[in-house]
Amino acid sequence: MADKNLTLAISSSPHLRSPDTVSNAMRDVLLALLPITLVSIYFFKLHAVFLILVCLAAAALTELLFRKVMNKPSSLDDGSALVTGLLVALCFGPSTAWWTAALCTFIGVGIAKELMGGLGWNRFNPALFGRVSVILLVPIFSYLSSIFVSMRPYLGEIDMVTQATPLALLKQGVGMPGLFDLFLAFPGGALAETSALALILGGIYLFYKEHITWEIPVSMIVAVFVVALIFGQNPLYHVLAGGVLLGAFFMATDWVTSPITSKGKLIFGAAIGILVIVFRVGLGPTEGTAFSILIMNAFVPYIDRVTKRPKFGEVAASQSASVSAGRPVSKTS
Amino acid sequence: MTVKTFSQGVFLPHYKEFSEKKSITTIPLPKEVVIPLHQHTGAPCRALVKPGDEVKAGQRIGESDAFVSAYVHASVDGKVTAVEPRPYFTGTNVESVVIEVDAKQGKPAWQERDTSKLSIDEIRAAIKDAGIVGMGGAAFPTHVKLSPPKPIDAFIVNACECEPFLTCDHRMMLEMTDMLLEGARLAQKAVSAPKLIFGVETNKPDAIQALNSKIAGEAGVELVALDVKYPQGSEKQLIKAVLDREVPPGKLPFDVGVVVQNVATCIAVYEACRYGKPSIERVLTVTGDGAAKPQNVLVKMGTPIGHIIEQCGGFKGEAGKVIMGGPMTGWAQSRLDTSIVKGSSGILLFSPAMVAETEHKACVRCGKCVDHCPMFLYPNYISTYAETGRFDLADEWGAMDCFECGVCVYVCPSNRPIVQFVREAKKQIAAARAARN
Ligand code: SF4
Ligand code: SF4
Repeated sequence: MADKNLTLAISSSPHLRSPDTVSNAMRDVLLALLPITLVSIYFFKLHAVFLILVCLAAAALTELLFRKVMNKPSSLDDGSALVTGLLVALCFGPSTAWWTAALCTFIGVGIAKELMGGLGWNRFNPALFGRVSVILLVPIFSYLSSIFVSMRPYLGEIDMVTQATPLALLKQGVGMPGLFDLFLAFPGGALAETSALALILGGIYLFYKEHITWEIPVSMIVAVFVVALIFGQNPLYHVLAGGVLLGAFFMATDWVTSPITSKGKLIFGAAIGILVIVFRVGLGPTEGTAFSILIMNAFVPYIDRVTKRPKFGEVAASQSASVSAGRPVSKTS
Repeated sequence: MTVKTFSQGVFLPHYKEFSEKKSITTIPLPKEVVIPLHQHTGAPCRALVKPGDEVKAGQRIGESDAFVSAYVHASVDGKVTAVEPRPYFTGTNVESVVIEVDAKQGKPAWQERDTSKLSIDEIRAAIKDAGIVGMGGAAFPTHVKLSPPKPIDAFIVNACECEPFLTCDHRMMLEMTDMLLEGARLAQKAVSAPKLIFGVETNKPDAIQALNSKIAGEAGVELVALDVKYPQGSEKQLIKAVLDREVPPGKLPFDVGVVVQNVATCIAVYEACRYGKPSIERVLTVTGDGAAKPQNVLVKMGTPIGHIIEQCGGFKGEAGKVIMGGPMTGWAQSRLDTSIVKGSSGILLFSPAMVAETEHKACVRCGKCVDHCPMFLYPNYISTYAETGRFDLADEWGAMDCFECGVCVYVCPSNRPIVQFVREAKKQIAAARAARN
């Protein structure tokens, strides 16, 4: 009965949807990164602006390119490429060459994400994967520098003192910024290391919007603090400097590459925190947070399996052993 | 008032305002009714009539010898014109009896009985004869549910009506309070339960008041107010909230000493015991943001939904979607000649704006489905493994324990049709298990 030519939508239940979408979540992540972005621009002026724009553009273009080549519909609207681009930029210092940042972004978005099947299928955090590739692939990057060096725009001088990361200063034991400066605003190291407060504000916003839960940031920060104490280091410096906060709020909490249950998240966050200090104490200040998170990314499927919770009624069932053979489960009466 | 609830689940918009204040009305009869012979859980019925036969309202027209089955009855006076497969609301075709409705309907001669004298067996027999099934959607034969193989200590009336939009149970609680109470007591007696408990969500304060004023001071009868959270009306979640008992996976409520029936079913039980009236009509809610005149109507079983929609003023604008049942577990209809059955609690008319996007993306592991699934399953893994054909792994993560409530799909930011994946996974897993044995 094609009643009055009615065309009715057909789909499986349920027929209602919450307003949550991936795009909304990514937009909120970008918003949460706004404070730290602004602080870094305040300190590094055009250097920061240029670096961020390069990474955003590289991220978008890489995703477009890969999806075009793989014949998939564009997914730019989910916003995840922009988040990756911005995060890569924030992980670099202001004097980073644009081609280095661009190639890192390309590797993060193109290889770590799109080649793995796109958002959701990636095992490693794309931004961190891109960021550490510069360390692992030093020869390629130095070769690039030899080609592109003449194409480096002049954006003004950067104060060389502020170039040293607080962690390096800590290592040398000279000219350390005060803890309060480090917390509020201090122009040292990477763009994202300029203000702990700005990162915390962003983290609170994500928490408020229910995009992240407390388990990973808290367990990671507590672990950094405690293990630093055990190693006889100043725990507050280790928490406030060197990307721990960026990692705790924005990287380790990445949906795709973190465990699914709260127990798993606690294990994951704590393990990252321990690794961060081990890296810093053992190998020096460079990118300990990034490597720690990436290493734990690899264990996520395993963590999910070992933290699997019992189903509804399973605990009760194991308590009362005598149960008769069941019939099929019926729904509402 | 202490308000109880269960773990996880989700707070949905209620959408009850469209029809919750509308008293139950009737509509003119359709020209024909189509009565499926298999509209319940269990064995299908065989037809007792053939084309050309004259039938009377309440006459049994289909039966089965199986215990788990439910008789079907003619809902009107009329003439059988066909016994053939007809479109069913789930999208398949089901053998049905088609009856041309007589212009002049006789007065059914119900035999009034004193229900207080009925024995347990007489109550069960009356229910079986009436062909009553769970009217909340599951359509499980009620006489089977009321013959539990284990001792029962609590009979719960499921008065949650947790699906958004639906208000028929709410209206019945207000307009048929005495019948509901009497029916609940009869069902309670049938399972020899010492306790009778009404579980009502707090968004029906008038119903809570109406019931409370009737049961006040009565020993062994209690009303438990429940938080307005979906799926509170699912049996396992209801039992958990009301009695803090968990029905283990693969088990049924009687395994923890409980039997649950919903409001409409209790009222049908009353009518069957009191008058010998079979399950030939029901109250349902016609509503939705696209409905011209949302209301609660009493209709004959087998009435085509197109007739009901028309009598209720149809769509007020462009048609988007027609759903049989509630918005979380109901079935989208592609045609309007499917008919009302015993388990139909509503017809929803959605405007195009209300129609959910169907395109979905990969799981981004946000964890929302895991945090909300009332069965504590892993809808993320189940759906991803079903999508990639790894049904063995979908099984490992709990596919068979999913009761398709739809919570995970509702919260998923990637809009994944997890329930659809689960249905496919269940089919494949069952086939694989059968092959192994
Ligand atoms: S997995 Fe099944 S039981 Fe769990 S929320 Fe989804 S539909 Fe409901
Ligand atoms: S809600 Fe959707 S995207 Fe989030 S974990 Fe579940 S299936 Fe994946």
